[in-house]
Amino acid sequence: MHGSSEAASAVLFGLNPMWVAAILFALTYVVVMTEKINRAIVSLLAAGLMIVLGILNQEAAIRGIDFNTIGLLIGMMLIVAITRQSGVFQFLAIWAAKKVDARPWGILVMISLVTAATSALLDNVTTVLLVAPVTLLITEELRINPYPYLFAMIFSSNIGGTATLIGDPPNIMIGSATGLTFNDFAYNLAPVVFVIMAATLIPIYFIWGRHLRATPEDRQRVMQFNEHEAITDRRLLKQCLLVIGLVIAGFVFARFLGLEAATVAMTGAALLLLLANFGHDAEHQSKHVLDAFNEVEWITIFFFVGLFIVVHGVDGTGLLKLLADKMLALTGGDLSATAMVILWSSAILSAIIDNIPFVATMIPLIKAMAPTFGGPEGLLPLWWALSLGACLGGNGTLIGASANLVVAGFAERAGQPIRFVQYTLMAFPIMLMSIAISMVYLYWRYL
Amino acid sequence: MKANIIMNPHPMTLGPSDTVATAADRILKHHLRHLPVVDEQGRYLGTFSVYSLLKLTLPKAVLDKHGLDNVSFVTESVEDLAQRLGRRRDEPVKNWLNIHEVARPDTHAMEVMLLMLHGRTTSVPVVNKTNNRLEGIISFWDVLEKLLGENS
Repeated sequence: MHGSSEAASAVLFGLNPMWVAAILFALTYVVVMTEKINRAIVSLLAAGLMIVLGILNQEAAIRGIDFNTIGLLIGMMLIVAITRQSGVFQFLAIWAAKKVDARPWGILVMISLVTAATSALLDNVTTVLLVAPVTLLITEELRINPYPYLFAMIFSSNIGGTATLIGDPPNIMIGSATGLTFNDFAYNLAPVVFVIMAATLIPIYFIWGRHLRATPEDRQRVMQFNEHEAITDRRLLKQCLLVIGLVIAGFVFARFLGLEAATVAMTGAALLLLLANFGHDAEHQSKHVLDAFNEVEWITIFFFVGLFIVVHGVDGTGLLKLLADKMLALTGGDLSATAMVILWSSAILSAIIDNIPFVATMIPLIKAMAPTFGGPEGLLPLWWALSLGACLGGNGTLIGASANLVVAGFAERAGQPIRFVQYTLMAFPIMLMSIAISMVYLYWRYL
Repeated sequence: MKANIIMNPHPMTLGPSDTVATAADRILKHHLRHLPVVDEQGRYLGTFSVYSLLKLTLPKAVLDKHGLDNVSFVTESVEDLAQRLGRRRDEPVKNWLNIHEVARPDTHAMEVMLLMLHGRTTSVPVVNKTNNRLEGIISFWDVLEKLLGENS
């Protein structure tokens, strides 16, 4: 569909557009990886160069931006920004810890489950920002090492995020590009996510869990926490729960209602802003709305915008089609073999590089394989392989996902730093185990 | 008037490896709010203050910059807080310093007062720019005495 009609009239200096695009694209990856320049700057600059150098024109560039992904991200970020003020997440963590009588291993399991469930519905970074401080307070009161808790938190945030359309950016992008719905993701990915979550806790139990001890007095102090006091604003809490309920219902019935995910999320955000500001004066409203807008991670949003343009530019030159053909030649056009290559390569690459540009690149590449596998329907196993690989692979190293770095920041400031090598030695094998489970699942259900 | 005229050139100081217990003892005995901490060469490292003592009674998790903004659910008693402080009494003060903005010996009086206002502190260390040595400390009281003394 794209191709030459979308390209600007002439590529600068008469260079081969495929080469120019490939070099720009590779440079974008490398510079983002080095983290010397903010990733939003890199992707926007690369997108600008794509247009200036004539790989594609502005109209084509704007068509390349997936506004469904952008709208869904912004909408959910706004809803979370308002909901977090109610204190509901602290409530959940304390409630969970008390349910298990403040026993150290019980708390680790409960905090992991709360993190996974929250990550499935919210962005992973937000989830750990909300759960980590309470967890550190609890481990400090129990006078036990927070390391295993934070380690488990990293895993559960990435694992939980894999389960739903809105849990992790790769899923948002895949869903948006393919029309797969909230229900499709939950139905196809949630079962294996439960298994992987349970399996991940086993090594954590044997390495740390069975050695965790707390004195009865220290446990008593945690039992005396009054979780109801954590709720700072009951009216706001009710409004948030109502809107989140409606938004999730919107996702579940999206196909039936003929709505896209971005519409559901943005309308939900607007409704919550209305409810939370209703009856306040204009000045108060301006401040609150601006506060909520300021919580949107604009760096991530603009990174996406630039990246979509860059990938669209590369796609238009036929480079990704070429790579797709190479990959199919490698796997002999066999669906199982292709799914396995996608699963394992996404897992290992996502552990090392940012999974967002990787998935943005893989989407057009996989789409180009449709003719080989009998149309878009035939690609389904490949989408699940990409999602499982890209989301779970992030657990492999400390830089595999942004939530990992946020948790590492907390650990560092709490005086229990998570070291890169030490983390990788434990985490990489556990991540590979989760991919092995995914492989069995894919074979059993789809291949 | 400049900082070196207003300052107290012989403030009571602490060494980096002095314990929290020693510092607390001096703060209580002399009713001081801020004790500058200097190394063996007299270089300024930071200030141990009454706020450092307050921090020592609290869990680290509530002091984190992304930490909990609401702790009303924690029902610790004064004894619990005192116990935590007690467990940390042998830690060196260097782990608990506040880094205040400092004045130079030639900083003008008005700037010193702005430092106090903006830093919400009642004392400003005066530090030599070239060798980082602590030359003295300006307390709120030093400033007031100079101001009211000259007016009268």
